[in-house]
Amino acid sequence: MDMVIINVKNTSADEVINKTIKVLSSGGLIIFPTETTYGAGVDATNPKAVKKLLTYKSRREGRPLSIAVSNKNMASKYVFINDQANSLFKQFLPGPVTVVCKVLRNVLKKETQELTKMSGATKTITLAPGVTSEFGTLGIRIPNYKLILDLVAQYRKPITATSANASGKKRPYSVDDILENLSEKQKALINLVLDAGELPHNEPSTVIDTTLSTPVTLRGGLNGKNDTTVSSIISSSKTETKEIAGRLLLKNWNEVSKNGVIFALNGNLGTGKTIFTKGIAEFLNIDETIKSPTYSYIEEYDFKRHQTTGKLFHLDMWKVEDKNMFDRLEIESLIGKNNIVVIEWFDQITRFISSKFGNTKIVKVLITQKENKRILKFNNNE
Amino acid sequence: MKKKPLILAVDTSCDDTSAAVVRGNTILSNIIASQTELHKPYGGVFPTVAKQAHKENIAPTIKTALKRASIALKNEINFKNKTNLTINNIDALAVTIGPGLAPALEVGLNHMKNLAIKTGKPLIAINHIEGHALSALAQRSARASKILKQPEQLIKANKNNIKYPVLSIVVSGGHTQFILFDKIGKYKIVGESIDDAAGECLDKIGRMLNLGYPAGSTMEKFARSGNPKTVTFPLPMTTTKSCNMSFSGLKTFARNYIEDTYGKTSPNKQQIYDFCASAQYGVFRHIMYKLSKVLDKYPVEEIWLGGGVAANIKLRQIIRKTIKEFEKNREEKNQRFVSKNLNKNNSKTVTQNSKIIFRTPFTNKLCMDNAAMIGLVAGYKFGHGEFVKNLDNLERIPRWKINT
Repeated sequence: MDMVIINVKNTSADEVINKTIKVLSSGGLIIFPTETTYGAGVDATNPKAVKKLLTYKSRREGRPLSIAVSNKNMASKYVFINDQANSLFKQFLPGPVTVVCKVLRNVLKKETQELTKMSGATKTITLAPGVTSEFGTLGIRIPNYKLILDLVAQYRKPITATSANASGKKRPYSVDDILENLSEKQKALINLVLDAGELPHNEPSTVIDTTLSTPVTLRGGLNGKNDTTVSSIISSSKTETKEIAGRLLLKNWNEVSKNGVIFALNGNLGTGKTIFTKGIAEFLNIDETIKSPTYSYIEEYDFKRHQTTGKLFHLDMWKVEDKNMFDRLEIESLIGKNNIVVIEWFDQITRFISSKFGNTKIVKVLITQKENKRILKFNNNE
Repeated sequence: MKKKPLILAVDTSCDDTSAAVVRGNTILSNIIASQTELHKPYGGVFPTVAKQAHKENIAPTIKTALKRASIALKNEINFKNKTNLTINNIDALAVTIGPGLAPALEVGLNHMKNLAIKTGKPLIAINHIEGHALSALAQRSARASKILKQPEQLIKANKNNIKYPVLSIVVSGGHTQFILFDKIGKYKIVGESIDDAAGECLDKIGRMLNLGYPAGSTMEKFARSGNPKTVTFPLPMTTTKSCNMSFSGLKTFARNYIEDTYGKTSPNKQQIYDFCASAQYGVFRHIMYKLSKVLDKYPVEEIWLGGGVAANIKLRQIIRKTIKEFEKNREEKNQRFVSKNLNKNNSKTVTQNSKIIFRTPFTNKLCMDNAAMIGLVAGYKFGHGEFVKNLDNLERIPRWKINT
């Protein structure tokens, strides 16, 4: 089958769509214009077609594809749209933003069945292998380009929405950009080109991943079963917050040399959890600057105060979303005699802990903000 | 002219495995095996995942670096040896031993230790931040320059005429530092962030806007369509004399503003663009305020920029603007001084200040965590014979400061 090029500017939209649908239904590969670059599209539910696309793109190194749908309703047949994704759909789509969501369980399941069967085009609407990422996520795109929106709506199935250039080559803003950089073998894979001339040089779409459970606000509070009494102190400056931290550690100093102490910090982004930790570090005579461990999960500092030498571990659980991840951090190995472990976003891991922390005392601290003041609440159950 | 040593360098300080072959300041190859996809479900770098991936990537990455460097060398006009470059042709090995993630650093360190024992080549231990601080010195190989038709003079001019003191600004997701030096190898940190790094601050503000995590690159893209003057971020740490920076206040401001202004309704597209532009400007304005302070306090002939955020065009623009303003003020001050002294019939002359030279890495790849910058630093250490004396005692230093 030879490559056909349709000039979409002087062909009626109906004719273009009809011809394209024929090509897509027979497992063909199309090159189509969008509001960003030209895209390479196949029927995302057809395993043979997707395989063809992956051959065309070559050297993708396991990167997931994304799919173009016509609206949110269509997207919700394949992926779970959480609150964050929902507001992104509202704010940015249709438009040059790719929203990464978790693939629905039944879609994933059928996908693995497909993998074993490989029976070509099927009647059931499931995604072909290779479309979703190995982590079960998928990028959703609703291009702000009427022809493509109409095409996908009429086809009633999603098409892949990867850019049309061979991996690592020039961004494709014209059909020549694409063809010049393709091998003969690659060219032979293209069945239909929807030529809309030179596109405005807009940036490729921005990818936003909504599948991480990093919270902005806290879910719970300081209402654990064992917290008999709760004290609160108001701090009006960073210096005061640091002092309070030092005093809290002093109060529990006897515990340090026994089984160590855990400070379990909770509080929204930007309330001063790291400031509190700085106070702990100052009390321990640590000269080094305490920096947020968000990126690295765990930071480690040596301290010496009076006769006690030990380690301060500064942890951030913001991004820890399941037990597997939690177990792999091996936090229990940090806990023990002369060690002080400060855990930010403790709330994220309370459900995984069970008896992991043994006899070590846990001092829970909740920091909230009211105007310029910070309120520090902590359990007081001696 | 003395022959520049060929150095094979490795960096595994964070999530990318990188290997490079460098000759002096010339980058012959710079291979980065990215783990981004692996860490995606964690939105950052997951220690155990990073370690495993480095272990798998390190040998093939080194192999590719040697292969690419071979090609680069064969394309040089005066390079007579037409055989392939192997580890035997290398003069020294270099490896990052800090700062970085302990389990990740360990992989590179152990691999290079073993390679040093096996080959008998000297090993040079490098500070990752020093790499970023000097990355603006890197040069393209002759082949790359030929392809890009870069004029020879430009390359030469860059090469040897460093005017000290130099101020290096390192801005990344993990570090924000002003590093001052009169000679390569002896550094003074004249200012740094005391809490979050600039890049991390932008990542988290983006998260508050629902842009995922890390959201820094999305913020940068969206900022291009927004008006930076829409929301005025506070200027932190103006009452202290120090040139240190703090970004946690900007984070708090962003959260309060988002809660107060948008409350239960979410902001629309343009409001998000404007907020991104404003937040980015707020972060850069803070760095620029402190940069002006550094320039007032210390004489500086050149400013170099390095680190992941160095790839941000807006940051480069605003630094150029800050330098211009500083030079204008300095000129005016000098003028006033001259006229004052003329009135007194004082013939004392005013020293003519030269323009500050601003250098940035020639490619964005050098802004990322990469081994070429490590090899570049190693080239200077090679000249001074700073080799690891006892391989058994060499250990990683996860929070190694450049001034120690």
